[in-house]
Amino acid sequence: MFRTEEMDINMGPQHPSTHGVLRLVLNLDGEEIVDVRPVIGYLHRGVEKLSEHRTYAMIEPLTDRLDYVAAISENLGYCGAVEKLMGLQVPPRAQSIRVILAELQRIASHLLWLGTHALDLGAMTVFFYTFRERELILDLFEQFCGARLTYNAMRIGGLLEDVPPGWTDRVRHFLSIFPSRQKEYEDLLTVNRIWLGRTQGVGVLSREDAVALGTSGPTLRGSGVDYDVRKSQPYSSYDQFDFDVPLGTKGDTYDRYLVRMEEMRQSCRIIQQALDRLPEGEVRAKVPKYIKPPAGEVYHVVESPRGEQGFYIVSKGSEMPYRMRFRSPSFVNLQALPMMCKGRLIADVVAIIGSIDIVLGDVDR
Amino acid sequence: MGQDTLIRNVLIPTAQILAVVLILPLLIAYLQLVERKVLGFMQARLAPRRVGWHGLLQPIADAVKLLIKEDVIPEKSDRFLFTLAPIATVIPALAALAVIPFAGAPFTVFGYEVKPFITDVNVALLYLLAISSLGIYGIILGGWASNSKYSLLGALRSSAQMISYEVPLGFAIIGVMMLAGSASMVDIVEAQRKAGVWYVVPQLVGFFCYFIAAIAETNRVPFDLPEAEAELVAGFHTEYSGMKFAFFFLAEYTNMIVVSCIATILFFGGWLRPLPNVESLWWLQNGWLILLPLTLGGFAGWLFGQRTGRGLPPMIAGGGIGAAAGAILAMSDLGGLASLSLPAVSGAFWFFFKVSLFLFMYIWFRGTYPRYRYDQLMALGWKWLIPLSVANVIVTGLAIVVKGAVQGRG
Amino acid sequence: MGATTRTVEAPRTTGAREILKTFLLLELWVGLWVTLKNQFRPHITVEYPKERVELSPRFRGIPRLRFHPESGEELCIACHLCETVCPDDCIHIVSEKKPDGKGKRLVSFEINLERCCFCGLCVDPCPTKPLTAIYMSHDYEMADFKRDAFVAPLKVLLNGVDPKDYKE
Repeated sequence: MFRTEEMDINMGPQHPSTHGVLRLVLNLDGEEIVDVRPVIGYLHRGVEKLSEHRTYAMIEPLTDRLDYVAAISENLGYCGAVEKLMGLQVPPRAQSIRVILAELQRIASHLLWLGTHALDLGAMTVFFYTFRERELILDLFEQFCGARLTYNAMRIGGLLEDVPPGWTDRVRHFLSIFPSRQKEYEDLLTVNRIWLGRTQGVGVLSREDAVALGTSGPTLRGSGVDYDVRKSQPYSSYDQFDFDVPLGTKGDTYDRYLVRMEEMRQSCRIIQQALDRLPEGEVRAKVPKYIKPPAGEVYHVVESPRGEQGFYIVSKGSEMPYRMRFRSPSFVNLQALPMMCKGRLIADVVAIIGSIDIVLGDVDR
Repeated sequence: MGQDTLIRNVLIPTAQILAVVLILPLLIAYLQLVERKVLGFMQARLAPRRVGWHGLLQPIADAVKLLIKEDVIPEKSDRFLFTLAPIATVIPALAALAVIPFAGAPFTVFGYEVKPFITDVNVALLYLLAISSLGIYGIILGGWASNSKYSLLGALRSSAQMISYEVPLGFAIIGVMMLAGSASMVDIVEAQRKAGVWYVVPQLVGFFCYFIAAIAETNRVPFDLPEAEAELVAGFHTEYSGMKFAFFFLAEYTNMIVVSCIATILFFGGWLRPLPNVESLWWLQNGWLILLPLTLGGFAGWLFGQRTGRGLPPMIAGGGIGAAAGAILAMSDLGGLASLSLPAVSGAFWFFFKVSLFLFMYIWFRGTYPRYRYDQLMALGWKWLIPLSVANVIVTGLAIVVKGAVQGRG
Repeated sequence: MGATTRTVEAPRTTGAREILKTFLLLELWVGLWVTLKNQFRPHITVEYPKERVELSPRFRGIPRLRFHPESGEELCIACHLCETVCPDDCIHIVSEKKPDGKGKRLVSFEINLERCCFCGLCVDPCPTKPLTAIYMSHDYEMADFKRDAFVAPLKVLLNGVDPKDYKE
């Protein structure tokens, strides 16, 4: 008689659709997934340990390299944590500009996610369209802080410099063209029957599991849990803006897709409001030359495009942190992968990895 | 055996075969350039531009690269099968071209009549189905011999897909065979001339089934799962490099051209001009005089528009200039071109014009759609296409019987 | 502002439209139209060595030192602040007392570009305001065949990196 056996297949660390150096050991029965074991650590750089030997100002470039797709969110979270520790009050103008930057970053990050997610599922062209629009945002960042990927855009206590002249008009210009471009992606994907077939009902994460696993961000909200750090623990004047938190119903790949698409629209709304009432004034609080926070510890969370990004700092009153810890959303969200993949086909693994939107720099730190 | 017979039976067929086999790789190389260009323009980028004017020599550079590249054979592979597989894929693909008529009318070379096709057999369609099934062997051998899990999965997917889609493909063709009453390519086109209408009109459903099945048969987007790079890296040819990879590549694109040719012949009247029986449109016979410069002008304008960022207007202008030049050429009767009756040229023009439209559709799909999943692909094939194509055969049969009965009584 | 949520759902069509959509593959045609339309949009890629993108004034390229634009003197006062603040330890300064006894002057100033992460932190504390002695230049081409080439000495830092033709 025929003898069948299960097959182990190594997906990654060098694989086009594991979005970096994630290695998945797939245990297959034919094309069906029996088990998935994610193997991480290929991009571990020891950022937390490195931080213990750097002054507070020197750590910010390191945070750029955690979640390198959304470096501004990391900057914002880190600066926010240190400011909380020092009891610094950031000037309102700096807060608003930070919000604009963070929301632009959210759009840029979601565009990268959308492009690669669609590319994984075979829709090649969307990738180029999203990168075309992402490029506009990166240009804005370059004009603001001089870098296109690892921004180091903020400083403890505010911003290094005010926005360059004409920058707000360019942001407005971007906001005016972006909705029509987003409509194009939606025309290509949202109603396409192949896309629906590939994403609907795939990788279902129930409400309970999503909470139990500690997922956050669109992965959690796709399952219908109303939790957004911007609403629940507002930081950097997010409480002054009017925006909706999109929620999914079924918790499948398609819902997470829709949530992120809607988040881009909401981000546009936030940026528009922030631009309309951008306060005048200083962009940096009075900060001592040598930053020496008082002894103590602090935990500060921000809503990065991938979820709840936490920064935990223990200070002994010296100019370097005693202990630094990053709660990275990708790492936690990745835990949901085996649960979502079991019993599905290989092709679904790719869709699911895409839908939880991991960045390996963030997972491995 | 006289010299005349020798030329007629040996020399001319050999020359024809050589012509097809030598021209085809060049054609495919440029088809690939066109694919890259079209995809590039759809994706807001410029595509190859470094080698030659607008990258026109890029295919040559690619071919040379593949020829001189190191040919890696994995250590634990089955060396014999590994080498055999690309050959076993490319030969059936090329053999299919033997029965494709590129134009209808014969032309004369040195007093010998040469037909614009290699051969015309009365079971051409059956031959094509048989030959295209053989192509699967090469793919599954390649996937097996590579001794790689990704290749194996790709090969299994590929063979399952091709076997499943051969069924609707065959059924879709049967409708045309019933209408034409023949399985010979030339007869089918002649039957369309007699009927005065392309078979796409009575066989719309059949065409739809054929087209989808043909995309799946050639493993193109949205049915390109065997080589889904996001999942299986490159599917069955993951381990191949150099010339062997080039053979797989050649086979894939040859298959693409072959199925486009068959679609043109079966459903779009092969080398016939549009509305072949309307006498007042006779000038379409020489339509290539206008359409060819129009296409070339439009193409040049398109390249220019992309380059300069002006978009559509240069393409329209280029097309307009081309059309005007063609019209002037046709009216002024320069060198007797317009009155010159060249049925072989005109037929070949219309044939390749239609085939290129099909090829454009293939590329266009590739630029637009996501990829199906394996089980969805099977469901589409078995649950939709096969019932639909069988229904098409039944309806066609009934229509023929009813029509025959009515005519017989009248 | 009150907490507001919005449930996202797949766009739904009903009745005759749904049937039309199913059989005429409407949404597939819409997709094709998008790609066709984009074919006539201008390209956005840049043919790099031939064309270059315009850099914004704040662009952070290779860090360099500069002379005073009018007097032509070295601006750097050898205060070692950039060396202190650099998170990657890539700046190495050797200074000596000026012969006239007032202040210090540079003997050597090296930036190890292999280590540099282009964060721009070295520019912030530079005391020679408003024109900082160290600044982020707009040079960004730094491929080379030898590792030595990445340790930029004072002369290179002051005069800029020579554009190279990359031939072995």
